[in-house]
Amino acid sequence: MLRLLSFAVFLATWWIAALFAGGDTLPSPPVVLAAIVTEARSGALLLNLGATLARVALSFTLAMTLGSAIGYLMGRVRLADRLGDPWLILLLNLPALVVIVLAYIWAGLTEAAAIAAIAVNKLPTAVVTLREGTRALDAELDEMARVFAIPPWKAFRHIILPQLAPFIAAAARSGLSLVWKIVLVAELLGRPNGVGFEIGVAFQLFDIPRLLAYSLTFAAVVLAIETVLVQPFEARLSRWRPRAA
Amino acid sequence: MRLEVDIAHKAFTNAAGKRHDVLAGLNFALGHGEVGVLVGPSGCGKSTLLKILAGLDHDYEGRVSRPADARIGMVFEEPRLLPWRSVEDNVRIAAPLVDDPKLSALFAVLELDAHRSHFPGELSLGLARRVALARAFAVEPDFLILDEPLASLDDALAARLRDQIATLVDRRSVTTLLVTHDVNDAARLGDRVFLLSPGPARILAEVSIPTPRHARGGAEIAAIKADISRRIDGHRWERDAL
Repeated sequence: MLRLLSFAVFLATWWIAALFAGGDTLPSPPVVLAAIVTEARSGALLLNLGATLARVALSFTLAMTLGSAIGYLMGRVRLADRLGDPWLILLLNLPALVVIVLAYIWAGLTEAAAIAAIAVNKLPTAVVTLREGTRALDAELDEMARVFAIPPWKAFRHIILPQLAPFIAAAARSGLSLVWKIVLVAELLGRPNGVGFEIGVAFQLFDIPRLLAYSLTFAAVVLAIETVLVQPFEARLSRWRPRAA
Repeated sequence: MRLEVDIAHKAFTNAAGKRHDVLAGLNFALGHGEVGVLVGPSGCGKSTLLKILAGLDHDYEGRVSRPADARIGMVFEEPRLLPWRSVEDNVRIAAPLVDDPKLSALFAVLELDAHRSHFPGELSLGLARRVALARAFAVEPDFLILDEPLASLDDALAARLRDQIATLVDRRSVTTLLVTHDVNDAARLGDRVFLLSPGPARILAEVSIPTPRHARGGAEIAAIKADISRRIDGHRWERDAL
């Protein structure tokens, strides 16, 4: 209910602003809606959204898997931590644009280069979060598992993983919001399709309704995925926690 | 299972590089099915000793002999349950081989039946301790280690839990080592009671209790307690340290 109200306020503000600014600078909601419908009818909207989402899914999965594994290793093994730390600091502070441009130069304007570049941007934050999570593991539960001779894979699944779950969820959430942003840049610079590419084209043509049509649809999809996938997943993870009064 | 402990030396090195003796010249043995109770002031190295006996710490001089394949059940001072799993799951994860009748019998003795599906966060300390006990007994241990399993419980509850532990120990006749600072635990549960010195810990005196656990009445327990307390005083422990 509150969300709907908030949305209505947003629409109203937009509409009023459009009236003042004039349709050339800020098209009103119906104009943008018409643009969305046109793009949807031609099939371009779905195709571009699909391409972007596929890139997000691939690079996100890649970065999360690799990042979690490296983070866990760095949290557990001191040597790995000392070896990996300088790289981590470098990657954390490297601007996304640099990584993307370098990837395109070295690997060509390919899909693999785009996905790898996006993944590399997300990787270090996943590593840092999982390393913290691994460092925070309860040594007492570890001892318990050893005394009771619980086999390692079972201990990992029932004792380690539940402790890491909130960190994985946090890494996923912050990672997803990072990937949403970076994927458009990568598409703008070197892919022939996707929301980022379309926004680039709209920018060159000064086609503001189309630009807004893609931006808003994309934002809506992001919001939907957050609500339908990410939030229930987080809720499921913390099911066992006693509710705060 | 027979347990023989002969620890010549166990020391920790602190951050400043200074060695600090925790255990020195500690030796005792327990026969099959015997309950040994170590009574000592806090900070005398009891927990360190238990870690060694549980196989968690191998960095010491001396010898601990027990069968290499001995199954160990342990109750830690803090219950150490998995907060994200139910009471029953907590027991089953540590003891995958326990069958339903055995588990039910265990839960019945420990009065946990009503709490099977509860999560540890919903339990009082006394209940959580009982779950930890259930877990330790469910693995059908050859060697049971109890680290202050009744600390910070009120007297009535502690007494009831003592009776439950006595029942379970006698049912399985498992070699047990219980560490406590409470003379009541020693008098109610021990076959042999070892009095430990303040750190570095060594054994000051040994008291054997010939009466079987199930035959000990209130008067006898009081007499044993008095005897142990007298010996403690004989060694001029500060009673406050207990």
